Order: sequence, then C-alpha cells, then structure tokens
Amino acid sequence: MLEDIVKNYLIDNKGKDTALFDKPDLQVSDLKLDSLDMVEMLFEIEDRCGFQLPDPMRYAQMSFSAMLADIESAIRAHDNGELPESDLQASK
Amino acid sequence: MGAISPLGADRLSTFAAALAGRCAIGPATPEIAKWLPQVLVAPAAVDPRSLLDNCHAQLDRATQFALVAAKEALADAGVAASPDGARRFGVYVGIGFGGAQTVDALYTRLHNTLQNGQGNRSPTVVHPLSVPRMMANAAAATVSMQYGLRGPSNTYSVACASSAVAIGEAFRAIRDGYLDAAVVVGTEAMLTPGAMLAWNALRVMAKPDAADPARSCRPFALNRSGFVLGEGAAAIVLESEARAAIRQRAAFGELCGYGCSSDAAHLTAPSSEEQVVAMRQALAQAGLEPEQIQYLNAHGTATDAGDVVEAQSIRTVFGQAATRLAVSSTKSMHGHLIGASGILEFVLSMMAMNSGSLPPTATLDTPDPRCDLDFIPLTARHGCEVSAIMSNSFAFGGSNVSLVARRC
Repeated sequence: MLEDIVKNYLIDNKGKDTALFDKPDLQVSDLKLDSLDMVEMLFEIEDRCGFQLPDPMRYAQMSFSAMLADIESAIRAHDNGELPESDLQASK
Repeated sequence: MGAISPLGADRLSTFAAALAGRCAIGPATPEIAKWLPQVLVAPAAVDPRSLLDNCHAQLDRATQFALVAAKEALADAGVAASPDGARRFGVYVGIGFGGAQTVDALYTRLHNTLQNGQGNRSPTVVHPLSVPRMMANAAAATVSMQYGLRGPSNTYSVACASSAVAIGEAFRAIRDGYLDAAVVVGTEAMLTPGAMLAWNALRVMAKPDAADPARSCRPFALNRSGFVLGEGAAAIVLESEARAAIRQRAAFGELCGYGCSSDAAHLTAPSSEEQVVAMRQALAQAGLEPEQIQYLNAHGTATDAGDVVEAQSIRTVFGQAATRLAVSSTKSMHGHLIGASGILEFVLSMMAMNSGSLPPTATLDTPDPRCDLDFIPLTARHGCEVSAIMSNSFAFGGSNVSLVARRC
C-alpha cells in the first residue's frame, strides 16, 4: 500500500526509473530528491491520512524501506495503532 | 524614505530597532495558532489603519501598509500631492501575494455562512469592492490616486524580489528618460490563516527557539531552522539628478546599479551562478569594483540551501575583498516580508550608509562554517566608513536581483 503509493508517485510524477525500486538496499539518497521533491512526495501520504509528517529531510539519510517503515509507524501512532487501509489504496 | 515594519511604525524607529538588535518575532494570532501552534510571525509594530484616515479602513491591509510607507517617503522627500510634472512621476510597487487578507476574509466569510447556516443569508453576498481590493495592483492604484501621480503605476510580483525589481525598473525608467521621478513601494500582508497554512506546507518555517522565540530566525547560523514571515511596507522616492538639482533636496544617496537574472532551473532551490551574474551586473552598471562596497544586506533567509549558496556567491563576486566586506541579514530581526523585503532592506542599507552604523545578524551566535563571511554577528557596528552598499534579493522562481547605491 504505502510502498506502492510512494513508488508510483515517484515513477509517474518524478520520472524515476522503475528498475530503481528493484534494489533491495535502495537508499532514499539514490532517488536524487531535493527538499521540495521530498515534501511533495510525503504529501501523497499526508493528503490521504490527514496529518503532516514531521521533519521530512530526516528521510534523506534513510534507506527506502526504513523510510516506509517510519512513515507507517507515524500513521499508526496517529490512528491508534491502525493503518487506514481505505485511505491508503494505491489506486485512490 | 519610509517604512512600517515589525521593527517600527516609521523608518527611524525601524532602523533604531535594527541597530539595537531587537527581534520582532513572536507567536501567531489565535486563529492561526489554533491549527499551527508552532508557527511564528513578525507582525507590523502598529496596525496601519491607526495611521490612516477612515476612508482607507476597508482597503486590503497590504494597500494600507503601502499608503503609510508612501506617505512618509513622499513627505520626507518634500513631495506634495499632485506635484509639478505629475505625468513624469511614476508609482512602482512590488508585492508577492496581492490581496491576501481580502481573499482570506472572503473565504472565511463564505465558510462561516455555509457552516453556520445563518438563517436566510446567502453566502454569495460579498463586498462589491472585493476585486479592486484584492487585485495585485491595488496598492499602486491607491498611491497613484492619493497623490495625483500620473506617470505609470506599475506592479511587479516577483516573490521575494518584487520590490527590489520595482526599484530597479523605476531606476531604469528614470535613467532612460521616461520619467523624472517615482515613488517605489514594497508591501506585503499575508499573516492570515490561509496563507500561513500554505507556507507551513512548504516546510521552510523556523521552529521556535525554546529559550527565546523572538530569536528563532537564524540566518547563516549552524542552528538555523528556516524563516519567519513578516508584514509591512517600505517606500523610497527616486528622482533624476536634474530634478533633484532643481529642487535642491539633499538625497540619501545615488542608486547606481541594478542587476537582474533568472536561474531557469528550480522553483525554490537557488543557483549561485545566476546570483553572481546579478551582483556583477549591478557592480558593472555602478562602475564600482567589489572592494568599493563596504556593506551588503544579504537576502539571508535562514534556509540551509539559501544561506550557503548566497555566501558562496558573495565569495565568488567579492574575491579577496570579501574579507573586508561587512554583511548582515536583517531578516533575523524583522522576518521575511516577501514582496516588501527587498525595499525594506534597501532602506536599512541606505540608512546604514548615511549613519555609518551597520545593523547586525542579530541571532548569529553559532556561525555555520560553510558561510565564512563577516556577518556582523549579534550586535550592530558603529563608526564605519561606508561609501557604497549592495542589497540582494533572491526569489522563489529563480529571480535574482542586486542593487547598488553610493553616497552622492
């Protein structure tokens, strides 16, 4: 869910190569996102979940999978431990 | 020159507060803080309505600020309403987000009417002057009408460089013989809930300093966290050398260089290459070498990318002379006035040149080693011999403006 939303956004809107996401150790820095790109990317999640994720630039030093895990834990913390699945459908 | 700013109700009090290193930054109003409790603002020192006649009470707040600043500047220059040669007297205004307060109020009213279902009140009933109040050129139109100035009344909206562009374009119009004089105004008033929500989403706003929130805007500091939005206006009167000679009015200085370039690269990230071009253009037009500038008011917004790139650009342009150049970002005290920032900082620079007292980067207690210049940290510097100044304004959208002025 989360991964598809972020991945699809980066491929469709930021022109990232789909093959990038096959790397198991993909780092956020490999995506070559500047601060504005990062904020825009996170808004894809924020808009669905209705709250703002803190300190976007801290993700720049993380692996892609760690960033997704961090975002998921932030959503769960905001939603009483739940993931709002209907809001996080990639096709939405 | 005139000003109404977070630091003061006029240019003298604004400059005095800047020299005192007073930071006019604090919490937002309750209607903003309700949703954005961490956001900081730099509100004007005085409500502009309190300085204007009742007939101006319904104007957009940015227009009110413009009127206050223009009034002071025109009085300071000894220009009465409907002056001789009014057709060769222009009005040049810079504003980033015209009519922000009017637009916000309009949507708030619509929302409240829909929300509260106020009997049979229709949500479509809004003031008939909403459009002329919110239009970007409202301030230029009002100043032109108020003072009977019949030359061009042009408005430049170039984000953070708006009023620096307005100064430069008025300068060119006078230099090229289209005008004899112009009043140039920069104004901005968008400390509204809607505008602050938008700025907050961009993630560029300073976080509150736990010990002293007023000192939360820290340009060129290692512990910077972004900028603080301010509001207000500043104004100057420019006139040709010939007109000034006829009027025998003492001038604050000579505007002698205007450089302007575009990065053509990124919406928000700055480019050193084109900043350098703008500064070099301004110096070349002024016929000055870098070592002839003693004070530079930096754009200095307290964003990581902005500060580091500007410091690098200044180093490139000034070379060896950079070691003797005094630089400060007065945004540390008055916040970022967006469309009004260029002219407010130019006014402060002119007053610094005339007084020999340089305003500090008031919050620079932990310098960023990547920004290796003399940023006049913490306290003002007095007794300086300043014969020429530079003022930089760099905007979202990639517009770069540099202004140079010298003593007459």
